[in-house]
Amino acid sequence: MFRSWNPSQPEITDLIVEHDPRTLERVKVRKQDVLDTFSRFSNRTAMRAVEQLPEREGFLDEKELDRHLLKVHWEMQRLAEEFYHGHRVWELLRVVIASIREAGVRETIRIVDVGCGIGYVIRWMAANIPLDKYRIELAGMDLNSTLINEANRLAGAEELPCRFLQGDAFSNGHSGHIFTSTGVIHHFRGPGLPQFLGRHEQPETQAFLHFDFQPWLLAPVGAWLFHYLRMRTAVARHDGVLSAARAHDGRTLREAAREALPEFASGIYGAKIWNTPAPRVFHTLVGLRRPLVEEFRRQLGRRRSRLGELR
Amino acid sequence: MTLLALYLLALLDGLLCGLRASMGRCAVIGKRGYYRRAAFQGVAGAQLITTLALVALLLVAATSSDRADVRADLEGAARRMLWVFVPYATLVLANLALRLVPSNDIRSATSVFMLGPLTAIRPLVMIAGVLYGIFPSRLLETRLLGMFVLLLMLSLEYALNRRADRRQEREIRRLI
Repeated sequence: MFRSWNPSQPEITDLIVEHDPRTLERVKVRKQDVLDTFSRFSNRTAMRAVEQLPEREGFLDEKELDRHLLKVHWEMQRLAEEFYHGHRVWELLRVVIASIREAGVRETIRIVDVGCGIGYVIRWMAANIPLDKYRIELAGMDLNSTLINEANRLAGAEELPCRFLQGDAFSNGHSGHIFTSTGVIHHFRGPGLPQFLGRHEQPETQAFLHFDFQPWLLAPVGAWLFHYLRMRTAVARHDGVLSAARAHDGRTLREAAREALPEFASGIYGAKIWNTPAPRVFHTLVGLRRPLVEEFRRQLGRRRSRLGELR
Repeated sequence: MTLLALYLLALLDGLLCGLRASMGRCAVIGKRGYYRRAAFQGVAGAQLITTLALVALLLVAATSSDRADVRADLEGAARRMLWVFVPYATLVLANLALRLVPSNDIRSATSVFMLGPLTAIRPLVMIAGVLYGIFPSRLLETRLLGMFVLLLMLSLEYALNRRADRRQEREIRRLI
């Protein structure tokens, strides 16, 4: 079990679905290659989960895999619902929006959720926030076409005013005033992390909010218990726990952001519960254009104490 | 009165089992109708179980030579079971009530520290409650009836999950 908590290995979902970064076409994945990767880490939990996945002539069966992915992402949404993640994101996002408005931005503010999966956060906001009142536009982007199709289907089923696109969120024509993500940033490791953050430096981008698990001593144990109880698929159970083990600490995130984005003030929001040493399950890497910082602090009001050093 | 309390607790357990079995299987945002149906199915499952238990109880009473004795023994067992089930149910309901507080921290904490672990120990609480109830019983009928009800209650969530799983599989196959 503990070998599946080794943070230096990838998650199963990182390996079983691959896209050509240029054409965004799906690339066939050889099942044995995935098994070999986890074999190198002696991660039998992951190997058992991968072995269960259907294959065709040695390659993972794309159709069956997509069905499995949907199941996994529906389960993941359940966790987000249980942790009121939509509320959590909006609580901070509305402050950022207010700060941007105070700075004089009058145009519609475009919010882009990076690696949105089936788009829970965006759809939650589209369903619960009066977008006209705040003059915001919501979009989700992901490289995985299956997840994007599902996000669009779900949004369509409820007639939600948001859209989802397959592609690179930082590419031309897709840029946002605010970038957000949930559980994405720990996928960028080593030099990949400042590289990812550096891509936020776009002319219209004013801020970013990246939510992720907060690593601490008991996080993998808690994640293991919780995922064991709440998730039904072996892939979701495995990756959920590994995500908690792989999550970056506040310092790593802060330093990477400050190195990659000198024009932004960056810091961690919501690390501790009510100013006690108890850590929150999620923390947020916050980045703002420097002229927004004072207003952001003011707009936070009594929640200001949740904000770490922002510079 | 004691049996009525057990009956109500069984319905509550069914309702929560129905909700749990449905969670993570529907990804739209507005799910009130979906959860209402799931809760109803859970309650219907629990109702079926309690009806079966009642039939078994009536059979035991009908075939017994001393009905008053059977009744007293059954009520004694049921009363003892309540000593385990009522605190558990109270804890669950109190934590669900806490989730009404508009604080993400409190809501998350109830999930991580209470509702998750409480779900994990549900089968153990069921076993402990029934054993605590029937162990001091004098009659074999009471013990057998207790074990029968325990078996039914433990199978409820499994059955609801199987049903929800099949429905989800069908839906996903329709989509892809």
